[in-house]
Amino acid sequence: MKTYVIQRLVIAVLTLLGMSVVIFTLLRLAPGDIVDILFSTAGYVSPSEKQAIMKELGIDRPYWVQYVDWLRQMLSGDLGKSYRYDQPAWQIIRPLVPVTLELAALSTLFAVLIGVPTGVISAVRQDTTLDYVLRVFSLAGLSMPAFWLGMVIILGLVTWFAWIPPLSYVSPAQDLKLHAVQFLLPALAVGYRSSALIMRITRSSLLEVMREDYIRTAWAKGQTGRVVIWRHALKNALLPVVTVIGIEFAFLIGGLVVTETVFNLPGVARFLVQAILWRDYPIVQNLVMFIAIVVILSNLLVDMLYGVLDPRVRYGG
Amino acid sequence: MSRARFALFSIIPLALAAAFVGPGTSQSQSQTPKSGGVLNMMLREELSQGFSIHETSTISTVWPAMPCLNNLVLFDPLKKTESVDTIIGELAEKWSWQDNYRNLVFFLRKGVKWHDGQPFTSKDVKFTFDMLREAPDAPAKLRINPRKDWYANIEAIETPDTHTAVFRLKKPQPSLLLMLASGYTPVYAAHVPPAEYRTNCVGTGPFKLKEWRKGEYVEFVKNPDYFVKGRPHLDGLKYFVIVERGTRQAAIQAGKLDVSFPGETTKTAAEQLKKAVPQLVITPFSQNVADNIIMNIKKPPFDNLKVRLAVSHAIDRRALIQAVHQGGAVVGAALAPKPWGFWGLAEKDLLGLPGYGAKAAEEKALARKLVAEAGFSREKPLKVEIVTRAIAVYVDMASFVINELKQVGIEATLKQIETAQWHAMATRGDYQIGANLTGVGPDDPDANYYENYACGSPRNYSQYCNEEVMKMFDAQSQELDPKKRLALNAAIQKKLEADAARPILDWKLDYFTVWPHVKNLIPHQSIYNFGRMQEVWSDK
Repeated sequence: MKTYVIQRLVIAVLTLLGMSVVIFTLLRLAPGDIVDILFSTAGYVSPSEKQAIMKELGIDRPYWVQYVDWLRQMLSGDLGKSYRYDQPAWQIIRPLVPVTLELAALSTLFAVLIGVPTGVISAVRQDTTLDYVLRVFSLAGLSMPAFWLGMVIILGLVTWFAWIPPLSYVSPAQDLKLHAVQFLLPALAVGYRSSALIMRITRSSLLEVMREDYIRTAWAKGQTGRVVIWRHALKNALLPVVTVIGIEFAFLIGGLVVTETVFNLPGVARFLVQAILWRDYPIVQNLVMFIAIVVILSNLLVDMLYGVLDPRVRYGG
Repeated sequence: MSRARFALFSIIPLALAAAFVGPGTSQSQSQTPKSGGVLNMMLREELSQGFSIHETSTISTVWPAMPCLNNLVLFDPLKKTESVDTIIGELAEKWSWQDNYRNLVFFLRKGVKWHDGQPFTSKDVKFTFDMLREAPDAPAKLRINPRKDWYANIEAIETPDTHTAVFRLKKPQPSLLLMLASGYTPVYAAHVPPAEYRTNCVGTGPFKLKEWRKGEYVEFVKNPDYFVKGRPHLDGLKYFVIVERGTRQAAIQAGKLDVSFPGETTKTAAEQLKKAVPQLVITPFSQNVADNIIMNIKKPPFDNLKVRLAVSHAIDRRALIQAVHQGGAVVGAALAPKPWGFWGLAEKDLLGLPGYGAKAAEEKALARKLVAEAGFSREKPLKVEIVTRAIAVYVDMASFVINELKQVGIEATLKQIETAQWHAMATRGDYQIGANLTGVGPDDPDANYYENYACGSPRNYSQYCNEEVMKMFDAQSQELDPKKRLALNAAIQKKLEADAARPILDWKLDYFTVWPHVKNLIPHQSIYNFGRMQEVWSDK
């Protein structure tokens, strides 16, 4: 197990290195840079002034120098300075991270709490009216984009209650109740969609396991339905479900753009889009690296969970 | 379309204005202001250059930065029409033109302090305007200086004492005062590096910066040492960054925000808001932003006047206003028409200009004739690439224009340009024809002409350059008689349209929305000049 974890961590470092090359290159391939954006807000362009600003920001240097400089800064724990805000990138990024992590975690929690039980019920009551109702419920979740659902929630609230969630981040220390409301609504909108996927995977995986010999044996031994389903069947059916949950969580870290925008939450995803539009390289590069780290860690966690859930899965020989 | 129908088109927005404006705006000035309260407002995007108004040309910076700063003079916040007669003193207590409008003397207020406690003096005035005009001995330089041309006529700034500043001009320019009264012209502190305004705001204004939480909000608190006694009325201001338009509208509707963003509310959105919350006060006003066509005069086929005129004749301005703006714009030439602006051409003068004729079919026939005269035919059609910024308001207008051009035998394809590339491309003249939007700070001919039509100006995207017209620009700028200046400007606007220098399609209106408890926030005929907030109070 230890060897396996070390192997995975080495691969993770190599993956991050590859990611750094990809993100650095893609950003430079996009047309325009921060200086073009600055001039666009001023409505004119001056080549000499442009050159001076490029020099000031250090983006007139050869690409490889900029890349090596970025790597060196990252290794020393310095994320550089935001071009747009003229402040340390970490200072800008730090408040965004907990917002997105909390929203993604809450959304995933909702998704699991809704998706797993409904998937189990749907499988156990296969081809009954309840199964059909739950499948339609999940299909609706898959069909409705989270941002659309979010906007419907906002418009519903303003129309019926003349109320919408807070317009800026409310910390739990400030007002726990308001904080909860601020996060619960977007988490529900996002979680509903994810729950639909989890429900369908749970259902199909459980149906497959329920046809296994050892389940038949359990029934033959006279064990109760609850023990057969929850203890023997579900535990073994959970492997693909855990995989999907891991992927969904990782996806949410960078994929909450529109939900954060609609609910006006100051998270990583919304800020990342703004930073891309402004070609704020230090912010974009470091935020994408953060997302990559979360994706790699969540995948690693999922792999570790395999061993816990299924003793047949063993790592490292 | 008959002349009567044309007149009707001019009257409709006014009638709508009367319908929209609720109580509050006019009554508020007769009520006794109350002190206290915080006004919650919106920003549609993050501040692009912090509070450094001098380094941007966007309302997204001017609107939230104005309350922190002061000008020498300002358009009276309580008067909706901006003109030389509505200018009031801010940091200048009095001013005086001398030597036949060649010297402008400002007598500065005494006892004014910057937010960091330093005293304000004439040194700050000299510092700011030497920096703006890029004087050889200027002690500081802006990273980006978009309005350098505004101050090209200033020869020197002298400070005989700590509370007097003299602007010595190369030639008479009465309109300089109007540019100095714009929201784009605050005075910076000489003891603060200009770069610091990108992250902080050290002003003398009615509100002090409390916090700028990046991407979230900007918060100001009342400046207790403000030099105008009894102002500001409010305890604070909070500007929330809300990128999603639907959320912004919901926030206004829910009462979470008290005020809309200038230039943000379309006629359709205003109608929806009014239906949902009838007590909202909606005031239509000119954004001082024009939809226009830029054609690269240096390159074929638009080096040919006939082709440029064909384009101008082809576009039915009134149909564009209905289709793209749902009636929320008005027809005008280079300067915003009355009553939305001060200098625009009268309707009878507009009717005679290319493309402004009342009968769209006749205009299109003329356009087809001009295209044929330029040597193009069905067999050999004129094919052009029309560029526009990849933003909905630009693309909608460009799509309409393409359809209009098609009807006169001009086959246009659309190319969307990302914002990062747009101004660089336009300044380089790296295009054939484009659908463009142009905002003008103060409603004054100088600010518009020298920026958008003058030879060599980087914002003159069409690269139109006519020495005769330049002389006309200078003549109106130096004209001291207001009536004569108005007449000169009418002639210039006609000439610009006759040359199809940059055909103007319409002037956009905004439907500024506030809750009824917001008093004394009066939109002007330019979105850039009424954000000081010192007179605003809340009747909550």
